Amino acid sequence: MIHSGAVVAAGVSQGRSTSLKKDFKIFEYFRRDTEKRDFVSAGAAAGVSAAFGAPVGGVLFSLEEGASFWNQMLTWRIFFASMISTFTLNFFLSIYHNKTGDLSSPGLINFGRFESDSVAYNLYEIPLFIAMGAIGGLLGALFNILNYWLTIFRIRYVHRPCLQVMEAMLVAAVTATVSFAMIYFSNDCQPLGPDHAEEYPLQLFCADGEYNSMATAFFNTPERSVRSLFHNQPGTYNPLTLGMFTLTYFFLACWTYGLTVSAGVFIPSLLIGAAWGRLFGILLASITSSGSIWADPGKYALIGAAAQLGGIVRMTLSLTVIMVEATGNVTYGLPIMLVLMTAKIVGDYFVEGLYDIHIKLQSVPFLHWEAPATSHWLTAREVMSSPVTCFNRIEKVGTIVDVLSITSTNHNGFPVVMHVAGSDEPAKLCGVILRSQLIVLLKHKVFVELARSRLTQRKLQLKDFRDAYPRFPPIQSIHVSQDERECMMDLTEFMNPTPYTVPQETSLPRVFKLFRALGLRHLVVVDDENKVVGLVTRKDLARYHLGKHGLEELQLAQT
Amino acid sequence: MSLRKISALLTVLVINISAPASSDGANPAAPDSVEKLNQIPAVVVESPVFKPAADSYFSLNLLSAFPEDLEVSDYCTDLLHIFGQRYVAYVNCLVPAARPVKVCQSCFASYGSLMEIYTNISSDQMGPGNVSCRDSLLRSDRLMLVYLLYNNLMDIWTTSGCTYCVANGFQSLTNDTLYFMSALNQSLACFEKYQQQGNHSELCKECKNTYRSLNELYGRMEKNNTLCIDTEDAMNVTRRLWSKSFNCSFPREETVPVIAVSSFMLFLPIIFYLSSFLHSEQKKRKLIHPKRAKSNTSLMNIQDKFS
Repeated sequence: MIHSGAVVAAGVSQGRSTSLKKDFKIFEYFRRDTEKRDFVSAGAAAGVSAAFGAPVGGVLFSLEEGASFWNQMLTWRIFFASMISTFTLNFFLSIYHNKTGDLSSPGLINFGRFESDSVAYNLYEIPLFIAMGAIGGLLGALFNILNYWLTIFRIRYVHRPCLQVMEAMLVAAVTATVSFAMIYFSNDCQPLGPDHAEEYPLQLFCADGEYNSMATAFFNTPERSVRSLFHNQPGTYNPLTLGMFTLTYFFLACWTYGLTVSAGVFIPSLLIGAAWGRLFGILLASITSSGSIWADPGKYALIGAAAQLGGIVRMTLSLTVIMVEATGNVTYGLPIMLVLMTAKIVGDYFVEGLYDIHIKLQSVPFLHWEAPATSHWLTAREVMSSPVTCFNRIEKVGTIVDVLSITSTNHNGFPVVMHVAGSDEPAKLCGVILRSQLIVLLKHKVFVELARSRLTQRKLQLKDFRDAYPRFPPIQSIHVSQDERECMMDLTEFMNPTPYTVPQETSLPRVFKLFRALGLRHLVVVDDENKVVGLVTRKDLARYHLGKHGLEELQLAQT
Repeated sequence: MSLRKISALLTVLVINISAPASSDGANPAAPDSVEKLNQIPAVVVESPVFKPAADSYFSLNLLSAFPEDLEVSDYCTDLLHIFGQRYVAYVNCLVPAARPVKVCQSCFASYGSLMEIYTNISSDQMGPGNVSCRDSLLRSDRLMLVYLLYNNLMDIWTTSGCTYCVANGFQSLTNDTLYFMSALNQSLACFEKYQQQGNHSELCKECKNTYRSLNELYGRMEKNNTLCIDTEDAMNVTRRLWSKSFNCSFPREETVPVIAVSSFMLFLPIIFYLSSFLHSEQKKRKLIHPKRAKSNTSLMNIQDKFS
């Protein structure tokens, strides 16, 4: 849902479709990177809000995970989007359930309400909750490690598309086989209740009037299973069945995540956590004799679900609010927050969160909020890339085309230097120009020699640059004739005349902060005479991570 | 002598004289005492619900003196008495029918009469003498005993779903129920005929058809929602007999083919991964080698830190 929301937001906000080649000529203001980023964050928040019925949780999810550059206006806009999203879903679901106007299903996934009077917790249960959080962190770390090795294997050996499709089919087949075998050999029969709690009970080898509860566990949708685990009466679940189900589901979920199918990890981990949480509650109730009511297994299922999800994805703030809103009870906010924090601390000791692992494996140059802790001894000189490909202020078209056509280095930004006339001094920095701008200039043939003829034609406008966004034509599709290669291009009007620069001795944290806070793409490193010495890009900064033995420099792969 | 002593003497006299007398009368043989009695406020004998206990209640009533307009009229006390009798009769019918559950078929007539008397009590119509028994009997105190007792029984009736089994204003059982009972009797008769110790396989074979038709009938009734607790329980007991005592439900027959197919399917991914490990060339990722400025001091720094 988060993904769909982000995709829809990114597409709708541009007011056109590049694949269908249709331009509706609206929302032209939003055809920029900054605006599109904001829309994607809002889309992700709206997705969370629609999925869980948690608008504030969606805003916090965007704040925590979905946006790198946050400003105050964005808070209000994203909150508005989340609220509209959940109420639209509510309205349409009410129509679907033939009860138009009865706005009672705020999210696709409904965990049922936890009424304060029926399920209360005591102060002495909080250490138990924290213990469950630690268990969730351990299990989550195990899940992440297994998935990490599996993903490495997949990247190395299963990289052809036909193999990937076959793998997905195999996983589906094995999941069905395992489920069938477990249902076939299960002996756990529960009597059919009069309230018809099960929609499709399966009798199989049970006596008449009973149904196979292992079949119910496997055939229910995960959301329904989670809700049953939260709210069913004590005694509904047989511990052995539940334990076998949890074990099988854990390994199947670990195997399934990372396949080339659109599958998530939220609901499966909630289900795993709810199952072992309920087991924990049943165990507690059996240990404390005289059948005391305080160990209600539904409450422990909720805590277990939060612990497992926190152990796998390591999100604290947004998950707390999402679960509080989805269960409709603020009383559980404190235990859930403690549990998630514990799970994160315990899990982070072993391995990173699942999403971070996959980001690293995909070689995405992702910058965290702060520079790595012990990196203040690194200077810009060690971080930067050098030597830098620069252009002169008035540059030959042939040189430009040749530089842009180099496929081994896919540079996007070029410093523009100015040679002092008549002397041998090295050139000083006077601006920065982007690849996309150069391509637009080449396409419109903005050459010095053609200036006079161009006066009769219309001048180049900002609109021409925005129109090509986001898919600028590659340099190969621009045809430049031999004569045109000898022409000169004046970059003065089109470059950014005041680029951000740092001296060579600037420490890495300072460079990082400047880069990250301003959202830069290229940061020019100059010496004391304003000569270009090097260039810092995102890929240079993202190499440095705090590993087990201090600061590490990882190498990024070409993607 | 004080007035109090005189009145106490006289009351004792009156008690001894009028004990076997009717509720209305003061003894005409003691006119003095009658006059004295008239001076004593509200000494009129209150007849309790059950007359034989009049003695014990007599003194109580004389000591607690209620004003006239709070008394329960005779008509209402009669109704209350009838209610009590029918209540006892119904409960006496219910309890023996608790296991196996036969509450609907055994006791629907008693429930019908109980409901009738309660409707009488709680109706708005004024009885003879312009009294409404509803307020005086049902709503006069915090306990509301009569109301509570009746509601309890009504809840039991509703929970057991007896309305689905009883028709014609508590005259008889519905046709569906009667048909079900006859089918049930057929199955039970069949069970008895073929029942022998040890091997039940013959019973399973012979009685299968009757049992299956009974099951189908029950399923239809369940879908139409014409079930009451009698039918449910009878069906439950029969099913337990069939499945657990006689062991006639499906055994697991084809374990070997299931295990074979499952193992084959579980082997497939192992084969897939092994073959892709051995045959695909490992996708080498091209690393980005960034261009760095060469400076000795910086190299030394990094080496220092890493050593």
